Amino acid sequence: MKTGTGLRVLFAALLVFAGQGVMAEPTGTLELDRYESQVVVLDFWASWCVPCRRSFPWLNAMHEKYTGQGLVIIGVNVDNDPEAAAAFLKDYPAQFQIHYDTGATLAREYGIQGMPSSVVIGRDGEIKETHIGFKMKRQDEYEAAILAALNEGVE
Amino acid sequence: MADVGVTKMTKSHRKNDRSVSATLAAATCALLGTGASAPVDAQEEPKWDFNTSFLYYGEDENRVQDASLKSIIRRLFADDKSLSIGVTVDTLTGATPSGAIRQDVAQTFTRPSGNAAYSVPAGELPLDDTFKDTRVALTANWTQPAGEKGLLSVGMSASKEYDYLHTGLNANYAHDFNNRNTTLSAGIAVARDSIEPVGGAPTPFTPMLDVGDVSNRNGDQDKDVLDVIFGVSQVISRDLVMQVNYSYSMSDGYLNNPYKVLSLVDGVTGDTLPRTTPLPPDGGPSGQFLFEGRPDERTQHSLYTQAKYNMNGKVLDVSYRYMTDDWEIDSHTMDVRYRWPIGAGSYLEPHLRFYTQSEAEFYRLSLDSSQPLPQFASSDYRLGNFDAITAGLKYGWKTRNGNDMSLRVEWYTQSGTVPAGQLIGNQAGRDNYPDLNALIVQFSYRFSQ
Amino acid sequence: MKTKLLPAVLLVALCAGCSSMGVEPWDRDVLAREDMQLVTDPLEAATDDHIYFSKEASSGGRGFGGGGCGCN
Repeated sequence: MKTGTGLRVLFAALLVFAGQGVMAEPTGTLELDRYESQVVVLDFWASWCVPCRRSFPWLNAMHEKYTGQGLVIIGVNVDNDPEAAAAFLKDYPAQFQIHYDTGATLAREYGIQGMPSSVVIGRDGEIKETHIGFKMKRQDEYEAAILAALNEGVE
Repeated sequence: MADVGVTKMTKSHRKNDRSVSATLAAATCALLGTGASAPVDAQEEPKWDFNTSFLYYGEDENRVQDASLKSIIRRLFADDKSLSIGVTVDTLTGATPSGAIRQDVAQTFTRPSGNAAYSVPAGELPLDDTFKDTRVALTANWTQPAGEKGLLSVGMSASKEYDYLHTGLNANYAHDFNNRNTTLSAGIAVARDSIEPVGGAPTPFTPMLDVGDVSNRNGDQDKDVLDVIFGVSQVISRDLVMQVNYSYSMSDGYLNNPYKVLSLVDGVTGDTLPRTTPLPPDGGPSGQFLFEGRPDERTQHSLYTQAKYNMNGKVLDVSYRYMTDDWEIDSHTMDVRYRWPIGAGSYLEPHLRFYTQSEAEFYRLSLDSSQPLPQFASSDYRLGNFDAITAGLKYGWKTRNGNDMSLRVEWYTQSGTVPAGQLIGNQAGRDNYPDLNALIVQFSYRFSQ
Repeated sequence: MKTKLLPAVLLVALCAGCSSMGVEPWDRDVLAREDMQLVTDPLEAATDDHIYFSKEASSGGRGFGGGGCGCN
């Protein structure tokens, strides 16, 4: 237990260092509470995933269009080699934030079935939709899912 | 808005060091993540892929030389669709064994056209050098996803040389299972080929006639080929993928080589029987030679298996193929490549291939005149009993623009054996099987834009 | 005729054992590499196929699809 507490203190310290507010964390649960009442899209990508070269410009467009309405896009990278991820981002820059899923913890927890995968989490914290793969011809469909999540429960 | 990484939000998430350290790692990494910046022109995904090669193939002893230019141009469309066009131009020169055996005396033969004769010095393997030819081949293939887990490809192929026309259609379908770890595939190809031999196709087992005499010729011929393939490919581990394919091939129609003959020999000495009439002024064969005849149907079965294994960046590619057919030919092919990356974008790839085949049931070195003629016979070395080895080295590198170039040099050698029971008299002392030694050099250049 | 059944039986047996093997979708970095594709160099493969078809009695064998990044 001592290690756990110690680590959490260090964790909080890091957050302060990053200029972020300190979060009060419910014991043992990692939550998306930071994004409560926002729509979160977790997009699982990798440098070796060819369709990701097409999805990034689209995700950038979504980021620009809907951030104001409460959309948060997080590009979850599953590369084993961080240099490969960096090289990809140089060619296909992301305006949205990137999270490095070392050890594929997130990918496993969300039960990712294929690459790339997009998980749309609603304002209520529930998973609304999961899309496997990125097809140019289905862009409207993907956008509609985001829009639906943004408008859900909003009068 | 750089932020801490987050994980799944639903109720019961166990408290343990693992989740905390994961968040810790996430926190550290997120600090390294790219921040928002003005949108830079993202790199466009390449729309075109050009893959071109120059090939030189040269056999020793004045035999076949081939210089070839091959190009595959691919146009990529949205959502993993693509159109592939391939063009190949070959120029062939040099001589090929006519099927007749060496003799201790000089020999003369009528050319396939029937228009001229050529002579072969004593002791030399009879080679026919009529084959100066240009061949053009075309392929076109359309590939696209089919449904969520399928891939479909349809295509056509055609080739033309002065005495041969090939036309064909093909279709392939692959379906992924088990999270795309397993792929089942099926393919079919049909072809209709036209053989237009110079001078016309000769009737099998009729003799090679004097210059100007084409009375035993039958014009053009056809053949149909059906190929079917079923395969399974399986991802075994992060570093290993394997494939097993079963192929079935059925050829129907004119399967003879219209230019090849067999020497008709004496049953005791094994020497070619001399001609019975005097040699005419325009020339003709010095001995008795009969045109070959093969069955008009051939069924082949093959089993092919391949593994690609990554060992810390180096790749081992091993494949084995077993073939058996109703001409009683059995073959084994073992192919090993090892790709060894050296420096940025460069690699060395040694290559070794072993091949062995047993002769066709109707393979004959020569025809024994004291015996009744068999129903089918051919002395084509490609249907005989031989072993072949290919040994080569390929070097690949990236140009300053990031495009791929490669150069490979290979040595291909065939050495055959005449089945013991087939050697008659004086033949036993001679080197009868036309062994082959060839140099292969290929330079390739690939770029995308 | 038994020899004709054997390859089919092998294929089915292979398939049956296949469902438990493989890697997770996010672990295909090595498999996505160009040098790990079943046919790495289609030009070289087509060239070899033609050379050996012209000089030997056997041909073909290679298949279609499989391996790779498993994307889309």
